[in-house]
Amino acid sequence: MTRTTMLLGAVLGLVPLAASAEGELTLYNWGDYINPAILEKFTEETGIAVTLDTYGSNEEMLAKIQAGATGYDIVFPSVHMHDIMFQLDLLAETNIGAHPDFGNIDPQFIRARTDPDATYCLPYAWGNVGIVYNKAEAGEITGWEDFFALGDAGKKIILLDDLRETIGIGHIMNGTSVNSTDEAEITAAAQYIVDRIGGVSAFSYDSIPLVTSGDVAAAHWYVGANIFVAENPDILGYVIPKEGATMYQEDMCVLKSAPNYDNAVKFLEFYLRPEIAALNVEQQMNGTPNIPAQDLIPAEIASNGTIYPAADVMDKLQIFEDLGRDLQLYNSEWTRIKTAQ
Amino acid sequence: MSLRTRRTWSLLGLLTAPSAFLLCFFLCPLVLMLIYSFLTPGLYGGVEWEFFHLNYGRILGWADTKYERFDPVFLIIFLRSLRLAALTVLTCLVISYPAAFWISRMPPARRNFALFLVTLPFFVSLIVRLFAWVLILRPTGFLNQGLMGVGLTSEPLEFLYTDFAVVVGMTYVFIPFTFLPLYASIEKLDTAQIEASFDLGATRVQTFGKVILPATLPGIAAGAVITFIPALGNFIVPSVLGGAKVVMIGNLIEQQFLSARNWPFGSALAMLVMAAVLVLLIVQLRLARRQDVP
Repeated sequence: MTRTTMLLGAVLGLVPLAASAEGELTLYNWGDYINPAILEKFTEETGIAVTLDTYGSNEEMLAKIQAGATGYDIVFPSVHMHDIMFQLDLLAETNIGAHPDFGNIDPQFIRARTDPDATYCLPYAWGNVGIVYNKAEAGEITGWEDFFALGDAGKKIILLDDLRETIGIGHIMNGTSVNSTDEAEITAAAQYIVDRIGGVSAFSYDSIPLVTSGDVAAAHWYVGANIFVAENPDILGYVIPKEGATMYQEDMCVLKSAPNYDNAVKFLEFYLRPEIAALNVEQQMNGTPNIPAQDLIPAEIASNGTIYPAADVMDKLQIFEDLGRDLQLYNSEWTRIKTAQ
Repeated sequence: MSLRTRRTWSLLGLLTAPSAFLLCFFLCPLVLMLIYSFLTPGLYGGVEWEFFHLNYGRILGWADTKYERFDPVFLIIFLRSLRLAALTVLTCLVISYPAAFWISRMPPARRNFALFLVTLPFFVSLIVRLFAWVLILRPTGFLNQGLMGVGLTSEPLEFLYTDFAVVVGMTYVFIPFTFLPLYASIEKLDTAQIEASFDLGATRVQTFGKVILPATLPGIAAGAVITFIPALGNFIVPSVLGGAKVVMIGNLIEQQFLSARNWPFGSALAMLVMAAVLVLLIVQLRLARRQDVP
């Protein structure tokens, strides 16, 4: 490898500059979705140099891998993307489910239909999608009805710029499944949002600063909002809507094209340890499927009902499944929502 | 070797590199998009190599299947994008024209510094600069505080997440594109002609309309076209400052390639933009030619 290609590779995040004798490992993860302390600890213990590259959506990651991006060892797809990547033959078998420490994992989190015995991927983290609100502007709101009432009252609310999450709210309010492929149900769910569009000021992921400053009363956001709530407990609040909400889960998968397969499996095994999973929760404030880890996480996180919901709330959380071709039905409705005034 | 053949060879040598560059990075991707726009969408992104005309049917009117249905909304978004891009060009021209005049009349040292200032924003990431505009335009932002401070309004006005914010943002982003070609033609302006116009008794308005404006028209046209094209396809500004509620054709295309996993439809929409740009360039070329032949 010439110096120029090395430099180019380093710029693209494909070649770790601090390559060591023990080898390398390249993670391709969502932005800010793993505690950096875990990577440092792994390097300290094994001598393997870890490089982290990030993406913003499942589709972005898939498009890049499909386009032939090589050099990545581990990716973190959501459950439905885990299924898709399996069908596209992009994942490598790891037999992580047969590892003695796999008993730490709560079996309800082995969700991917194509991977019922965790032969491929390790359940990584999960959380719900609810409402973050400004206490002074919104009051103590409890669900979607209160949320949209704010919009009707002339306050500002923001929805996520995500077609399935946003139409999903309509499904929840209409009592239909967020994975419905029935045209009439999808249209009705989208109509629920269209009917309330006047109060919605934007579709965005960047709502936290606006909610904190009070410019926006409440926003549709992830459980990770608890990080900001912990920083400004008098100003912000986060709630899982009482009518129900969606949840997400990402799995840790090794790619078929992984250049460092052995190191990647080592990392999956490393992550099975309760203290490592707990270390991640401490910084990420989300859920872990690792049962013994739950005794090791800080009490204020473990006792937070929006991060670790009670069983009856858990039952109201729906997870997205891959819809195949029927995604186009959502796509058309999404354009209709975006152009409704 | 005769002078003529040598000239041919040197011309060939000089043109090979840029031609290869354009072929690789402009024509090839374009042809690929054109081909993709006539293919069947793959289930998980990508394409299946099978002819499919409904991508255009969805935009232009003959598609009527469960997954591919004609919807006027695509043309409406396209027209809206044309309108927002045209408004952006107009605002850019109104701001850049006097500024270019002013700067071209400065002493050389100050002039160079002023030109440097015009290009200065390029040194900072676009996203960072757009988020600065969020801080300016939001209800508790600087603009509203300023307006309320001087008593022009008692309630904060709605700026953020409106068409207005999108036009302001795009004007801000594209002003250097309008300014530089305008400046080039204004700097070349022959002052003797202006003086002659005054000597012959023309008023200021007449001089501007009959001498200055026609002489700078190529600069205006070039600046307008070079601004209009990227403004038409822009998707970052409508997403950050329009709150993704002011959807432009660029956002729609991005959505097809990512969350909707429908690359052929995205390609078909992109071809619509290409067609609009092509028409515009032909019109500009005609105008420029008419300019050359007095």
